[in-house]
Amino acid sequence: MSAITTSLAEYRHQLKSNRWGLWLFFLSEAFMFGGLLTSRFYLWGDTRPPLDQNLGFIVTVVLLLSSFFMNRAETAIAHDDRKNFQLNLIITAVLGIAFLVGVVGFEWQGEVRPTDGAYGAVLYGMTGMHALHVLSGLIFIMIVFFNGRKGHYSAERHWGVEACAVWWHYVDLVWVFFYPALYLMGTVIHP
Amino acid sequence: MTQQEKKAAAFRQGIIVLIVLAALTAGEFFVARSLNGPVAILFIFAIFKAAPIMQYFMHISSLWSEEEGH
Amino acid sequence: MKTFFSLGLIRGIVSQLIVTAIGMGITVAVRVAMGLPAWKAEPAAVVGALLGAIGFMFGVGALTDWLKWMKGEETPMRHGPPKDKPAWTRYFTVDYNHKIIGVQYTVTGIALIGIAGSLAMIFRLELSAPGLQFLTADTYNTFMSAHGIVMIGGILLGVAGAMNYLVPLMIGASDMAFPRLNAFGFWVTVPAALLIVSGMVFGGWDTGWTGYPPLSARAPLGIQLFFLGVYFIGLSSILGALNLLVTVARMRAPGMTLFRMPIFVWASVATSLIALTATQLIALSFLMVLVQRLLGMGFFDPNLTPEAVAMGAPPGNPLLFQHLFWFYSHPAVYVFILPGLGIISELLPVFARKPLFGYKWIAMSSLTIALVGFLVWAHHMFTAGMEEYLRLPFSYTTLLVAVPTGVKFFSWVATLWKGRISLETPMLFVLGAISVFLIGGLTGPPNGTVTTDLQLHDTYWIVGHFHATMFGGFVFPFFAAIYYWYPKVTGRMFSETLGKLHFWLMTPSFWVMSLVQQQIGLMGMRRRIADYDPALGIQAQQVAITIAGYIIFASVLVMIYNLVYSYRHGKIAVANPWNSRSPEFQIPSPIPEHSYEQPFLVTGEPYDYGLEGSVYISIKPDIANAPVAAK
Ligand code: HEM
Ligand SMILES: [Cu+2]
Repeated sequence: MSAITTSLAEYRHQLKSNRWGLWLFFLSEAFMFGGLLTSRFYLWGDTRPPLDQNLGFIVTVVLLLSSFFMNRAETAIAHDDRKNFQLNLIITAVLGIAFLVGVVGFEWQGEVRPTDGAYGAVLYGMTGMHALHVLSGLIFIMIVFFNGRKGHYSAERHWGVEACAVWWHYVDLVWVFFYPALYLMGTVIHP
Repeated sequence: MTQQEKKAAAFRQGIIVLIVLAALTAGEFFVARSLNGPVAILFIFAIFKAAPIMQYFMHISSLWSEEEGH
Repeated sequence: MKTFFSLGLIRGIVSQLIVTAIGMGITVAVRVAMGLPAWKAEPAAVVGALLGAIGFMFGVGALTDWLKWMKGEETPMRHGPPKDKPAWTRYFTVDYNHKIIGVQYTVTGIALIGIAGSLAMIFRLELSAPGLQFLTADTYNTFMSAHGIVMIGGILLGVAGAMNYLVPLMIGASDMAFPRLNAFGFWVTVPAALLIVSGMVFGGWDTGWTGYPPLSARAPLGIQLFFLGVYFIGLSSILGALNLLVTVARMRAPGMTLFRMPIFVWASVATSLIALTATQLIALSFLMVLVQRLLGMGFFDPNLTPEAVAMGAPPGNPLLFQHLFWFYSHPAVYVFILPGLGIISELLPVFARKPLFGYKWIAMSSLTIALVGFLVWAHHMFTAGMEEYLRLPFSYTTLLVAVPTGVKFFSWVATLWKGRISLETPMLFVLGAISVFLIGGLTGPPNGTVTTDLQLHDTYWIVGHFHATMFGGFVFPFFAAIYYWYPKVTGRMFSETLGKLHFWLMTPSFWVMSLVQQQIGLMGMRRRIADYDPALGIQAQQVAITIAGYIIFASVLVMIYNLVYSYRHGKIAVANPWNSRSPEFQIPSPIPEHSYEQPFLVTGEPYDYGLEGSVYISIKPDIANAPVAAK
């Protein structure tokens, strides 16, 4: 969304400010996600709920792949390669949707319900908050896709694409910490 | 380097990062399975995954670098 | 009439109401579709309130430019003043100029402080005799809780107002780095305030501003609106802080190195670092209670369902809430006071005509307070049943905060020492701030020490303590700032007589209020309670507190009258009424739309008052001959 009418020099100055702004927002959000992680360790200790580890692995790989294709999309537009840009963006979105289906459509239909003590609360809290971010990323991708089709981005001016990509990677980055905390760390208790 | 070569190099870098991340993800999965979820080791895995994501996918260094890449 | 309905504020409120209704309708529809009973007040209220706030932002027009960007349209970087509309309408409509936004924040902040103050007047009257006079216990609790949180909201807005108005001027930036985000940050506080106030009407709540579960998990419906309101005010803080940090990092005038920035800018940076990060945790903790009530996710609920027991799930824990909550809310008190302390350091040299003593130490002490402030939160939990081994470390870190705070005090005293002090209204308030903050500062360490705090916790001593810190750290400096910059903002002088009257009414009353609160606390008066035992023998003191409180309230009314009256009838202000060296005083009053015609050049130190031939900035710099270091 290089949406402000400016000269290239001004654009570049603002671009760097934009990057700082976005990263500061990440820092801020990291405290929120960190708070959720803290809650997980505070309440679960070294146990974990009976979740399907294979499902966790699959959705993690899907999200990782989507990040990879997002990176390709951004690289493409940075070299004025519009066709690859649009194509990779679509692949990213499809994988993102697949991730959501995995979490909401499968994990949330599993054994653990939201009302199941600290397991339910933290599991749905963490995956829900993360899923909201995935959803926002998908909307962002959609906007960038349609603006891209109208030819709004170029190698010099594509802050909109960059922001969308970095946002998407951030969502992946959060999952890098959430995935082991939910699915891998600790042991399952069998009462 | 020509434009074309630069672009190819950029795409190649993405692939390398993907391979590294995939290997780490598989690694943490098997470590967790065989060692019963050791928290510290899994955290180290996560940090090693986070670093390349921030550096190569999120271009964190563009915050302080002077050249104008994008 | 037509102008009235074209005001963003009015359109925002109307659309908030409509969208709230739609949100409630959606909730009913979804419940019917799920086969549940159609009406349940709480989900309907939460969904309605959430969507309604978003509706406000659409209606007011805070999202207009962003929506255009999404459609791929371009907008100008700066919009400038509105065409073919009276100038006053800018203040009631989305405007992107940081000076307008600063005034919007400040005035809204004062309005909130006024509302909260009126509530205090009501419940303070109730306390002037034992037994229940004219409030029920529930209304008392609701008023007390709303007083606390609305005051805090007012303070946050006041802080944001000062930072928004002053920081770009002080560093020579043309505006904030993200003008649209800036406007968004202000406007989102309006639906937030409306939500909190409507929470008082729809059920009220009885938890105090801290909203601890398990009480908050069972409080009446009003608490959900309170949670959502705080959530949106928190969002505003976060976005404002982000904007300010980027502005200071990227938009300083040539030659404005970090250690040549006015001290208030340092204080703002420290404040923003806290607001940016810690705020997320109060938002998270409130959100967790909100979903616990709404969806039964038992983060803080120690009871387990049979299915959860069968699964081996651990129970929730209310202590977790207190950890998350105080991780924000202790640093938050530094959000309230650091800008105020910055204003004290900013104004003292002007009125003492001497350099600020230990500039770098002051700058660093703000950052140190902010950082150490992150490590002290559990001093609020000494009596909460928290792990015992945490008590001592948190006691030590708390006492550590006294060190950088002490640095500030010594610098103030040293700056005053042998100064040529002149006692205009702003300076009076600065001195009042120092005296009151001293009371707050000295009563802090006993609360941080475990042995004493076990006695003091939840008594009126605490009420006396935190009112002294907030008045000394925020209210007095804020009033000083209002008087000091009023001529710059409006182009008129306020009435010195009324200003002095305000000061002499407020300051002694505050000493009485705070010290007597502390005294009856030690005698056994509890905090957050509508009634007390006559046998405590504290009724005279209660009456004294009430009278003092009423005088403070009246004195603030004097200020408001003064500000409103002088806006029309005050003497025309000169550009630099206080002989300040600060950049914003080197340009005309009121400040023109785009502040500086061109960036100024910083060539000297900011606070060299009274030093022969020293200059801070040159306003029309000869760019060609600028020293290389300034580039
Ligand atoms: C800027 C000014 C003020 C601020 C920031 C402020 C802030 C607060 C806060 C945060 C609380 C705690 C609420 C809670 O425990 O949940 C509180 C309580 C209270 N405040 Fe204020 N306040 C201010 C002015 C006043 C004034 C002028 C009075 C009148 C004398 C007053 C009287 C009280 C009383 C009586 C309580 C309730 C204490 C209790 O029952 O535990 N406050 N205030
Ligand atoms: Cu504290």
